[in-house]
Amino acid sequence: MLPFEEQIVSDLLDDPINGGLVVLSSGLPLHPLISSILLLHHSSPGSVLILSATDSQKSSILQALKNPNPNPDLVLPVDIPPDLPSHHRPSLYSSGRPFFLTPRVLIADLLTGRVPSNSVSSLLILNAHRLSDVSVESFIARVLKALSPSVPILAFSDRPHSMVSGFAKAERTMKCLFVRRLHLWPRFHLAVSADLERAPPEVVDVRVPPTAAMRGIQAAVLEAMDACLKELRRTNKVDVEDLTVENGLFKSFDEIVRRQLDPIWHTIGRKTKQLVSDLRTLRKLLDYLVRYDAVTYLKYLDTLRVSEGVRSVWIFANSSHKIFELAKKRVYQVVRTDGARISTVGKRTKKRKVNDLKKEKESGNGSASSNVLDPSIGVVLEEVLEEAPKWKVLRELLEEIEEERQKEDLSREGHIEIDDGGNSDIVLVACKDERSCLQLEDCIMKSPRKVMREEWEKYLLGKAELHNVQKRNKSRSQDPKGKKNRSQDPKGFGILDGVAAGPSESTDPTSTSKLENDALLAAASEISHPYKEEIDADISQQHAREGGSLKERGKGKSTKTTSRVQARGKKSKKLAEGDKFEKTSSETDGLGGETDARVAGTLQEDILPNASDDKGVYPRHAQDSGTAEIADDKPIPPVQFYALERDQHILDMWKPSVIIVYHPDMTFVREIEVYKAENPSKKLKVYFLFYEDSTEVQKFEASIRRENGAFESLIRQKSLMMIPVDQNGRCVGSTASSEPRSLVSQNSLTRKAGGRKATEKEMQVIVDMREFRSSLPNVLHQKGMQIIPVTLEVGDYVLSPSMCVERKSIADLFQSFASGRLYHQVETMIRYYKIPVLLIEFSQDKSFSFQSASDIGDDVSSTSIISKLSLLVLHFPRLRLVWSRSVHATAEIFASLKANQDEPDESKAIRVGVPSEDGVVENDVRAENYNTSAIEFLRCLPGVTDANYRALMDGCKSLAELALLPVERLAELMGGQKAARTLKEFLDAKYPTML
Amino acid sequence: AAVVQNQNRREILVSHRQKGNPLLKYIRNVRWEFADIVCDYLLGQSSCALYLSIRYHLLHPDYLYFRIRELQKNFKLRVVLCHVDVEDVIKPLHEITKTSMLHDCTLLCGWSLEECGRYLETIKVYENKPADTIRENPGADYLSRLTHALTTVRRVNMTDVVTLGSNFGSLSGIMDASMEDLARCPGIGERKVKRLYETFHEPFRRVS
Repeated sequence: MLPFEEQIVSDLLDDPINGGLVVLSSGLPLHPLISSILLLHHSSPGSVLILSATDSQKSSILQALKNPNPNPDLVLPVDIPPDLPSHHRPSLYSSGRPFFLTPRVLIADLLTGRVPSNSVSSLLILNAHRLSDVSVESFIARVLKALSPSVPILAFSDRPHSMVSGFAKAERTMKCLFVRRLHLWPRFHLAVSADLERAPPEVVDVRVPPTAAMRGIQAAVLEAMDACLKELRRTNKVDVEDLTVENGLFKSFDEIVRRQLDPIWHTIGRKTKQLVSDLRTLRKLLDYLVRYDAVTYLKYLDTLRVSEGVRSVWIFANSSHKIFELAKKRVYQVVRTDGARISTVGKRTKKRKVNDLKKEKESGNGSASSNVLDPSIGVVLEEVLEEAPKWKVLRELLEEIEEERQKEDLSREGHIEIDDGGNSDIVLVACKDERSCLQLEDCIMKSPRKVMREEWEKYLLGKAELHNVQKRNKSRSQDPKGKKNRSQDPKGFGILDGVAAGPSESTDPTSTSKLENDALLAAASEISHPYKEEIDADISQQHAREGGSLKERGKGKSTKTTSRVQARGKKSKKLAEGDKFEKTSSETDGLGGETDARVAGTLQEDILPNASDDKGVYPRHAQDSGTAEIADDKPIPPVQFYALERDQHILDMWKPSVIIVYHPDMTFVREIEVYKAENPSKKLKVYFLFYEDSTEVQKFEASIRRENGAFESLIRQKSLMMIPVDQNGRCVGSTASSEPRSLVSQNSLTRKAGGRKATEKEMQVIVDMREFRSSLPNVLHQKGMQIIPVTLEVGDYVLSPSMCVERKSIADLFQSFASGRLYHQVETMIRYYKIPVLLIEFSQDKSFSFQSASDIGDDVSSTSIISKLSLLVLHFPRLRLVWSRSVHATAEIFASLKANQDEPDESKAIRVGVPSEDGVVENDVRAENYNTSAIEFLRCLPGVTDANYRALMDGCKSLAELALLPVERLAELMGGQKAARTLKEFLDAKYPTML
Repeated sequence: AAVVQNQNRREILVSHRQKGNPLLKYIRNVRWEFADIVCDYLLGQSSCALYLSIRYHLLHPDYLYFRIRELQKNFKLRVVLCHVDVEDVIKPLHEITKTSMLHDCTLLCGWSLEECGRYLETIKVYENKPADTIRENPGADYLSRLTHALTTVRRVNMTDVVTLGSNFGSLSGIMDASMEDLARCPGIGERKVKRLYETFHEPFRRVS
């Protein structure tokens, strides 16, 4: 444990009764804190409860407890699963062990008295930034403090920037947790920085210049973003201060905008809404630019164009045209064959021409004549397949690392064996997502070229498939025109098939986009019929062509190699050397492509010309067996890829000596720092791969700035904070007394002459267990109602023996209308309660309406929420609707609805809707007269409708009898042949055996 | 005022009281005409609506109560259509909710005149529409329909459906099975057998 970590823990435990909220810089380790608190605690009685830990946090806490000094007395925390039967839990609580558990389980147990008092010695809450004053955690804190006031509550968060969102969030969080102390541990804290900078890792900052196209796309996206922001400012609906392009790089930008717009969301126009979503799209585009390869990026843009084309604003901006053009240019170019090519490669043309002449001769006069007829032949697809510049740099880095290691090994030949542990020579490559990991792995194992090739082929095949679908649809829907197209297409295909890869005779292109599409399709069909082609085309000629295209690619690569890799410090020389080496090798590729001797090689290994690439695979595979055996000129060390998304603490596990941060990320940087500080003797070298002058750099730097800003604001808030304390110096939190008195009690006060004390009984509400996910139970409790958690079969809240409430948030409402669950819920509620209530609860900070007036169409449409509600109301005229602005409003309404009603009966409420042993449902009025389950069954059968099921019930005694009725009789009862046949067929259908 | 006979009328009847209500502009998908009725809008044989804007309610808090009292018990569905036209809704909406609940009215809220108008139109248009669009919609294929039907019997699960299906060959086979046959199926316990058998063999109507 590092000194600053010890400091955090001792500060925290200094004043246990008043608890504490710890806010750490993201990336500083949380698990050693928790584990040392547990270690310090394990001798004292009572159990430590750890709330809301994520799975990865749980595992790293356990790891931290097991690892350093396995204490035999130490009891490891146990996970209490939510589905553990409730009667097992009280004994667990009093066992005095530490536990991980969910807030929902704990609150239910607290309310039902399953947590023996004094059994809890402290409560730890992780991820405190997620809390609000209505969340379950605050409910728990309130109940727990009432139960045993001296229990310390410790809360932790490593997201400082979400601790400052909204008004005085830190203060409100602390109040609701009954916590008095705020501990701030930013990275720039003296103790932290002293510890982390004592023996810092060796850092190499590699700035990779992006390609011109990437630069262009980035500029264009930023331009489009700026335009959107300007437009958004013009709406005058948002506070402009936070709307900067820099903020726009972060996900939290959406939050900023949404927080401002949500309350008035229904009043703003469609265009503003579109702008908000456009900004999100653009941010993704920037992000993907550095993460995806050129082909995938293009594919993403294509889907964007299809999915957003009509609605979005940005797509019509000038700059977005540039985005599409450049993205395409990174992958392929469409070239006219009459020399007016846009291509920069001149040398190759000649040779290709020759090839083509040869080919033309061979393909016969059929194609020659159609050349004139079909304009699309004049255009040819030239693959560019730009590789991500970082790929090459990564490879070079790896080679260089290995080279250096070998040198080191040589220099200390005598000492043999370094006792660093077996895994220490691992090179860790950290990227953002799983996808990049896999792709990079492929790049290292196969070759970047091959990876691009595969992506490209996938892309083309996708295009072809899409085209086929379109064609089919067209021919289905259209008459003569479609037929014509169909008859023409195969011909065009056949011709293009042979020509696509090489340029051919010139013709005037009519519409470029059409030609381009044709060219793509041609290339696709070439890929999809590789075998056919091999037979069709003269083999030697194909080799020649492949050679040609290979050469082209070789060229492309060597031009890219000229892009300089700038490395700082002593590295730069070495890197440049490696660079040169690579260049020569790629030139040999090109040469190889020209000679025919290489042909056999291409045949075997499709397109994998670089022998060293091929062999470079082995070391990676043979991770454990060591790599030194393979005497290759370019070996690479064992590489381990890690996706930051996975959020695991792998550094301690893999103990790498070299880390390549492929996608820079602030949190991960901190983790590296801590890892190094914990292992000061270990040599650690970290490479950062940045695209020069990119938003990647900007974003990384901004994230640090943003965190520092958050901490500064927290420090300011801390100095002004007012946490109420009682006479014993204990934090009193936000108790019910500080809440404004409810409407009802205000009224009743005036009526109760002179404030004569009435012996008011506490109001009771029975709440379904599942409802503890929402904040309503908490607010009801705040209002002074007694909450009785049970598992309800029918409804969510029971307010009185006759009144039952089904609560729906807006999202729930839409969703449960769609699934049909709501209908069923209302149906059962109506069956068992005299006053069934559907509560539609809006969210405080969202708009109070379903839709803006402009979203209401001209016609009555069955999909609209209005129609669904109307239908529900028509079918259940007894259903009462309650519309609530917020949870707090709901609590008021509940209180007044209960005003003249008896208190609900817990034992009865549990039994409602649950059939007893003999299947008879209590209180079910219908059940006495009807076989309800048979009727329900009947109504699920196909052909049976609301209109005819009564007649069916009259026509036969039971379902068994129904099964035997002839179809004629059914038709009589159901009032139609068709329905009767549907039903009969369903009844008699042979069950498909699966065995 | 006499209630106008509304047998199978195609149009919404509007009370003369509503004259001048801009809402009427937005009833466009259904025809409407003025008539002498107690409620504001007569939407069907047994459904009616009262219109109330919150702004009006703030001026005349007792209005709603008197209007509802006038309705007496003539209608199955009594809608209070509330036009939310103020910013600070919590208190007035609370009062309206309470009044509607106490007097057996269904409260619907609209945030614009268009929305309110659409509610009136929809209730009229859907007067005789089945609830299919908001009910659970089992998949179209045989298996999911069969599963859907059989699982309405309590405690019967997917596995049981497969067991029953492959043992009896068809749904009519299952429905006709004896208690013994059902009990012979693996996984179908005593209680499930009883429940299934009762569902299929007990008469639909217990009192005849």
